[in-house]
Amino acid sequence: MQVSAASLRMAVLLVAAVSAACAVVRNPALDRARDVYDKARQDPAIVRNAGVALDKAGQTLEAAESLWKTEHDVAEVEHLAYITEKRVEIARVTAQRRLAADEIQQSRTPRP
Amino acid sequence: MSRNCDSNGGIGGGEKHLFYSAAFAVLIIFAGCSTTKPPTDSLARAELGARAADEAKAAELAPVDYKNARDKLAKAKAAMAAERYEEARRLAESAQVDAELALAKAETEILRRAVDQVWKKSEVPPTQAELESRNPLSQGAEKE
Repeated sequence: MQVSAASLRMAVLLVAAVSAACAVVRNPALDRARDVYDKARQDPAIVRNAGVALDKAGQTLEAAESLWKTEHDVAEVEHLAYITEKRVEIARVTAQRRLAADEIQQSRTPRP
Repeated sequence: MSRNCDSNGGIGGGEKHLFYSAAFAVLIIFAGCSTTKPPTDSLARAELGARAADEAKAAELAPVDYKNARDKLAKAKAAMAAERYEEARRLAESAQVDAELALAKAETEILRRAVDQVWKKSEVPPTQAELESRNPLSQGAEKE
C-alpha cells in the first residue's frame, strides 16, 4: 500500500484540527456542573459529612468531562451534567441531615 | 459477489484492505446497536428509588423533586414502550437521581423537625454552634 506524503500530511492536519476544536469548544451545562461541584468541594461541612455522596458526584462529572473530550456527545454530556448537579445537591442535603442527627445526639447527653 | 472472499483466495492487496475496512465498519455499527438495548436495569433502579422516596413521605416533604422523579419515570416507561431506548435510559437515570434527592430531602426534613421538638421539650436554648449548624450550608444551597 502506498500512501503519498501529501495525503498523510492532510490526515495529520485533519486530526490536529479536530482535536484543537475539541479542546476549545465549551459546554455551558458541563461548565456549570463543574462550578457547582467545585463549590461543594470547598465546603468543609459537606466534605466532612457527605464525602461519599460528593465522590459520586465527582465520578459522574469526570465521566461527563472525558466524554466531552473524546466524543462531543452533547445530549449525553448534558444528561451527565444534570446528574452531577443533582448528586452535589444530594451531598449537600445529606450533610445537613448528619448535622441534624448530631444535634439530636448532643441534646441527649447532658451539656457541661 | 462471485469472488471467494476468504484470506487465501485471490484477492489483491487493495481489495483485501477494502474487505477489512468493511468488516470493521460492520463491527462498529453492531457495537453501536448493542449500546441501545432496552434499559431495563436503569428503569428498575428508578422504580426502586421512587418507591423508597414514597416510603419516606417525599411526596409531602420534598414535593418538587418527588414530582420530577415520578414524571420522568412515567416518560421513561413511555419511551421504553415506543422503543426509544436511549431516551428511556436518560429519563430513567434522571428519575432515579431525582428520587434519591427527594428521599434525602425528606429524611433531612424529618430530622430537622425532630431537632425542633427536642429543643421545644428541653426549653434549653441551643448554643451558638448549634444554631450555626442549622443554617443553610452555603451559597449554592439556594440557587435559582
